[in-house]
Amino acid sequence: MSLPEVDVCIIGSGAGGAPMALELGRAGFKVVVLEKGRHYRPQDFIHDEILNSRRNFFMPLPWDEPHLVRQGAKGRYERSTAAWTANCVGGGTVHMSGFFYRLKPVDFRLRSTLGAVPGSTVADWPISYEELAPFYDRAEAELGVSGEAVPHPFAEPRAAPYPLPALDVHPVAGEIDKACKAMGWHSLPTARGIISRPYRGRAPCSYCALCGSYGCETGAKSGTDASLIPAALATGNVELRPGCMARTVEVDKQGRAKSVVYLDDKGVAREQPAKVVVVSCTAVESARLLLNSTSGRFPRGLANGSGLVGRNLIFSSFGESQATFRVSKHGEARPWLKDPAPFVNRSVQDFYLLPDARYGFRKGGTLGFMWTHPNPIHAAVGLAGKGATAVFGKALKDKMRDYRDSRILQFEVYAEYLPTPGSYVSVSDQVKDKYGIPVAAITVERHPMDLAATRFLVERGEEILLRLDPDDVRRGTTSGETTILQHGTCRFGNDPAASVLDKHCRAHEVPNLYVVDGSFMPTGGSVPSTLTIAANSFRVAHHLVRALKG
Amino acid sequence: MPRTRSPRGRLSRRSFIQRASFLGGGVVLLGPAACKRSEEKPKPPPTDTGPLGATAGGQALRTFSTFEYAVVAAATERILPRDEDPGALDADVPVYIDRILQTPEMEPVRDDFMGGVAALERRAQRTFQKGFAALTPAQQDELLTLFKDSPPRSGEAHFFELLTVMTLEGFLGDPSYGGNQGKVGWRLMGFDTVGTVAMAPPEGHDGPKCLRTCGVHK
Repeated sequence: MSLPEVDVCIIGSGAGGAPMALELGRAGFKVVVLEKGRHYRPQDFIHDEILNSRRNFFMPLPWDEPHLVRQGAKGRYERSTAAWTANCVGGGTVHMSGFFYRLKPVDFRLRSTLGAVPGSTVADWPISYEELAPFYDRAEAELGVSGEAVPHPFAEPRAAPYPLPALDVHPVAGEIDKACKAMGWHSLPTARGIISRPYRGRAPCSYCALCGSYGCETGAKSGTDASLIPAALATGNVELRPGCMARTVEVDKQGRAKSVVYLDDKGVAREQPAKVVVVSCTAVESARLLLNSTSGRFPRGLANGSGLVGRNLIFSSFGESQATFRVSKHGEARPWLKDPAPFVNRSVQDFYLLPDARYGFRKGGTLGFMWTHPNPIHAAVGLAGKGATAVFGKALKDKMRDYRDSRILQFEVYAEYLPTPGSYVSVSDQVKDKYGIPVAAITVERHPMDLAATRFLVERGEEILLRLDPDDVRRGTTSGETTILQHGTCRFGNDPAASVLDKHCRAHEVPNLYVVDGSFMPTGGSVPSTLTIAANSFRVAHHLVRALKG
Repeated sequence: MPRTRSPRGRLSRRSFIQRASFLGGGVVLLGPAACKRSEEKPKPPPTDTGPLGATAGGQALRTFSTFEYAVVAAATERILPRDEDPGALDADVPVYIDRILQTPEMEPVRDDFMGGVAALERRAQRTFQKGFAALTPAQQDELLTLFKDSPPRSGEAHFFELLTVMTLEGFLGDPSYGGNQGKVGWRLMGFDTVGTVAMAPPEGHDGPKCLRTCGVHK
């Protein structure tokens, strides 16, 4: 059934979709936002690990809505929950940790900086840091970001302080500062998408410690569900439709987007006509939607005459190590071990770009320090281990008792994930989800330079941990991917033969189609990208409002 | 709710464990790999699997027969035996598993779990000519170790992993799901000693209800 036409139909309500909804609504345009997940309220966010972290409260189950993932084109596809972010109003910003870094100027011109990288399709952005910077300011103010800018070798320029002062941190942050200083490195406060003071009618953080992986029951976490979406709805021009799964974007005879066909919350097929269609379902799911939107005009998928939709998939390169302190052993000498404050909020970016390639890479990344997540089931499953080396019985209980006597400090690495011809999204011709829609199939092929960089960063992070004199430092991995950070599948650029979107994130081939999640990014940067996606969406909204007003 | 029992005795499907490390809390879901929802599965004709059972304490069971429950109880108690600290039975872990397997979305897990329990029992009969629940703890550990050390994609290894994960969920999950009675699991792991604000859900929280009402993604 076809519904009355609106000005703009936005698919997705996360970091990309919400800024568009807000700005278009404020400008007086009639907007419909389709969101496949539910609209949770703060009172739905309960500290229940089984509900939040182990079932389909946020992530779909792998037998309902799988992603197919394989390592290399010769690998075997496995059904997986990887590369999903939260399926609910607010998307991944609801269960994020909210590490709100900006990209740095070098991230906008990585190809120029590194030169050609064999085996990688690395490309410069068609815009500069300076063009995006005002929209970073805007996104930080609209969402609510707490932080403190300090000078350091890779500090990106910024016009003003953060909108909110930094959150309180655990005393171990000072220990990390001392350790870094002794090595000639610069630890800096990690900005967070969490408000430290009352802000625009929202209550500040209560320091509950269950932050990442959970929704925020006080609304202090700056997910779009707590910030931009309520503001967008308050304009009176934005209609939010949760539980609505987009199936295809339809085109007219001229090849312009004319409507979105979706299944509503009752499972009924609907068609929403719109003058402009904005896709923002995550880099993987947006590529899937476009590839599934085939027509006579676009037989290989919408806006995919170039064959580039789904190509150049980028995650974030991941590594981690953990340092364990036994409280009973060191509690006297280091009273800070007993301090329950949840946030460490320290980052090290001294190795963001190396002057030469003597270690096998030049583009490095970021180390972020934090206490390990307190989820007890997650921790215990890790202690039990897997396969033949797994333990049970008394051995497992002893490990659990040791855990009770431990504080575990860790770092995560966010390193460059270079685009390669072997990392891409396609749609499966065999597997469909519970809606009957072909699922996304993900092929991952890492560039060896990423792995060298990630290993290097893990080793540097371990040097910092060892300076704190823990009982044990254990390496997690040096070769992982953070699949909830995803980019690149509809990269933007000036050349229609080499990119899907133009510099305003409008499809080269479809003049009224925009993609505003991480898909546009030709390189992912070496920080979590949530803030960048939101900032870019404010930039695109600024352009679109002016274009629509003529 | 009528009980469904899968005829798929061959436990060859692989569990999927994904850790989204960036989320910290870990999104870990267990489930079979090859179960295709998009293709209508032919449902087996209902077979009489006997009446549902009750626990030793008289609690009515929803998934297991009394006999199956005894096997599950014995197996979980070997994963987390009582020593100077409470064990799986003290926390009512088997009650948790019995209830959580009734979550509609967990049907594939239920099939795998029931098949695994049957396989464990068969192995006990074949090896010791006795039911698993009647074996000595050392014999039970021997069989569980055999399952644990089976090839990574085997049904036995999958069941051992499923058993461990479900036991830990029952031991450390919110008590409203039926396990972690007296919060003994949280005490063992120190979950109640960290944090300035109570990290546990408020009194009166009903996890299973939320799972039914909030967990539905249409």
